[in-house]
Amino acid sequence: MKHSLLILIYFIYGNSVFAAMNHNGMIMDAAGMIMNHNPDKLPKDCKAISQDIDITIRGGHKFAQGFAGKMFTYDKRDWQAPPCARINVTFINEDAIRHQFMIHGLPGYMYPKGMFTIELYGKGQKTGSFIVPSRDYTYYIHCEVSQHTEKGMKGQLKVGKGSGDLDSILGLTAPLTPDIYPIHNNKYTWIALIVSLTIGIYLINYLGMKIMTLLTRQPDSK
Amino acid sequence: MHKLLYYRLIPVVFVLTAIAIWLQPDFFERATGINLPIGQQPQLTQTLKVDKPCTNEHPEWRAAQIIDGVEIAESLLCDPDNPDNIAAFVLGMNNISMRTFMNSRIAGDALTKSDDLDGDGDPDIIHIKLEVLELNGATPDSPGVFPTYDIAPGIQPGMWAFSPKLRGMSVKNFRSQKANAILRAPSPVIRVEQGDKVYITLENTHYFPHTLHFHGVDHAFQTSSGGDNDGVPVTGAKPVMPGTTRTYELQPRHAGTMLYHCHVQTDKHLMMGLNGMFVVEENRPNNWLQTFNVGAGHVRHSSVAIKEKFDREYDLHYQSIDKNLAKTIQNSNDIRVISKQMHRVYNMSESNENYFMLNGHSFPYTLRDALIIAKPDENIKLRIANTQHSNIAVHIHGHKATITDYDGVTQNPAAQITRDVYGVSAAQRIDLHLQTTNDGLHSYGEGIWLFHDHVEMGVANDGMSPGGNIALLVYESFLGEQGLPKLRADALDDVFTNSYYAKQRPLWNKQEAGMLTPDYLHILLFGLLVGSIIGLVFFIIRGLRSEGIK
Ligand SMILES: [Cu+2]
Ligand SMILES: [Cu+2]
Repeated sequence: MKHSLLILIYFIYGNSVFAAMNHNGMIMDAAGMIMNHNPDKLPKDCKAISQDIDITIRGGHKFAQGFAGKMFTYDKRDWQAPPCARINVTFINEDAIRHQFMIHGLPGYMYPKGMFTIELYGKGQKTGSFIVPSRDYTYYIHCEVSQHTEKGMKGQLKVGKGSGDLDSILGLTAPLTPDIYPIHNNKYTWIALIVSLTIGIYLINYLGMKIMTLLTRQPDSK
Repeated sequence: MHKLLYYRLIPVVFVLTAIAIWLQPDFFERATGINLPIGQQPQLTQTLKVDKPCTNEHPEWRAAQIIDGVEIAESLLCDPDNPDNIAAFVLGMNNISMRTFMNSRIAGDALTKSDDLDGDGDPDIIHIKLEVLELNGATPDSPGVFPTYDIAPGIQPGMWAFSPKLRGMSVKNFRSQKANAILRAPSPVIRVEQGDKVYITLENTHYFPHTLHFHGVDHAFQTSSGGDNDGVPVTGAKPVMPGTTRTYELQPRHAGTMLYHCHVQTDKHLMMGLNGMFVVEENRPNNWLQTFNVGAGHVRHSSVAIKEKFDREYDLHYQSIDKNLAKTIQNSNDIRVISKQMHRVYNMSESNENYFMLNGHSFPYTLRDALIIAKPDENIKLRIANTQHSNIAVHIHGHKATITDYDGVTQNPAAQITRDVYGVSAAQRIDLHLQTTNDGLHSYGEGIWLFHDHVEMGVANDGMSPGGNIALLVYESFLGEQGLPKLRADALDDVFTNSYYAKQRPLWNKQEAGMLTPDYLHILLFGLLVGSIIGLVFFIIRGLRSEGIK
């Protein structure tokens, strides 16, 4: 009995696991998935789609190579869009491992948990869409594979004027909790300090003398 | 009349000081801005030295050969045992040719074999003389240690070992500081035949008292003349003082893998290296044994009983070093100070183990002389002894071997266990039967198979991995010309540098996180400010003084 039930379940679901499925904005296949794909539903505060913005964002180890001490990132980490735009994201994973394009802060009433995600299980690409509301806001983009965000895979999307920059975006903003590094002092450091010090001393004395001679002259001329 | 003006300048000094403090630059460290500092080459405290994996000093020692009628098995290792020594250890110094004697560095009375008491074709009275040697000890003549013995690249802990009585120089040649090949860890494996009358004399060449204690080897509590025979100062005689000797007597009735060690201040002296394997071989006719296996490892002249069942035999002796204990002999040449540092200041109950050795070397030097070499479908005898504090959990990749003996006692064959991790506690021994039959159980086939302690601190050199007691089981088809396994060309590049175990060599990306450049603008501004404050103070003092004189 138990067995026949399992077999039944297998026949119903087994074959379709890797076939493309699309319901409730969830598209998945053997290469990856798109969550909360939304090409047409408008946010409450938008009367129409203002503009179609096509962005292609690449993710992988090689984009982090120009950034010392980091491991993964996107090729571009700072994006811009007008309010009520439909954003068509083509996410290209250049690594043989899993990466995500995940964006947070979208309205929860149409994007569960406020997220839109493209996940790629390895090298490859996928395109999905979402429509942003009208407010000026900076949306948080990242890859949530363990430690990818922290080691560089983080970006932002500013809608309208945005709401400021996020912390620790490679090449753009400093980290909130930065590492402390030693300073490489050499003789020039100390020469600079001593020279500026000496100049300071003489400068003040010179100025003082000038002022004093001016002040002492005045009573004489009376 | 200008006095008031000078006084009015004083608050300006305070304001400037406050600004200077506020604008003070970070002189020594600072947080990063948007980008992290670029990488930089590592700072080495010593010039980079790269060892050859194999120095290939004596390729002629590898072949199977017969010396003075003694058959010596082939040993394909990079660093095989000296066959002349083996002939001397099999025949005894009293039965070898002058040529063999000249080629060994063993004293003429180190090993005497005589009297075939049972008429079975082999000698039954064996006289053995042991000395105590120190490796990497202090010397008042140089800042380094002497004689040097590297357990791994650049690692020279102070150590002791028993040794067959030697003759001649302790170093390779008179310009060298390096211990010659026979001065090494561990203490040699001693092999005697069941029923032999064995007289072992400890000739205490060292500066501290020591004894010999035979652990698990059948021996009477007292010698035939009533002397101490257990080596324990509390229950027997005083220890053997420096410059004196004592002879212990054994006639073991039971065969098996046993131990011997010093029993003076045992915690320290044992860990310093005064411990070795002691093997009693079953009695057989014409059973001439290799009495010493210096450096343990491959036995090039196995006993008759072993040859009946096995194709090869290896002695595997696991030891560890506490670097703080090892240092106690390296910082002084005053024996009172050394004794205090070792016996009273050093506290064994706060001990750590930092270095882990198999047969006196840590990886990667284990590649030179601690490989197990095999061919398919062989039966190999492994004798494992653990004389470190911590348990070892030896694992041989790709193989499951059978534990045949525990502490020198054969396990009932029906109850013998075949497994792939062999736990051995302090001072325990096990004998393994390793079969290289590719049957999916005993062996998964030919290859270069790592074997190591799975207690993970044991596979690092003071925490730097790979190191410790890692060694390899190498099938001959995977063995290169100089006795090294055929590895990826760059596989050993890092570990044979002196910077690797000094922890100065970054892994994988080869660069350190860089330092930041000084913020010159900030420094100049700060300098000007401080200069102005100093100048102003002088100006005020001078002005007030001259006003006062008026
Ligand atoms: Cu990722
Ligand atoms: Cu001792």
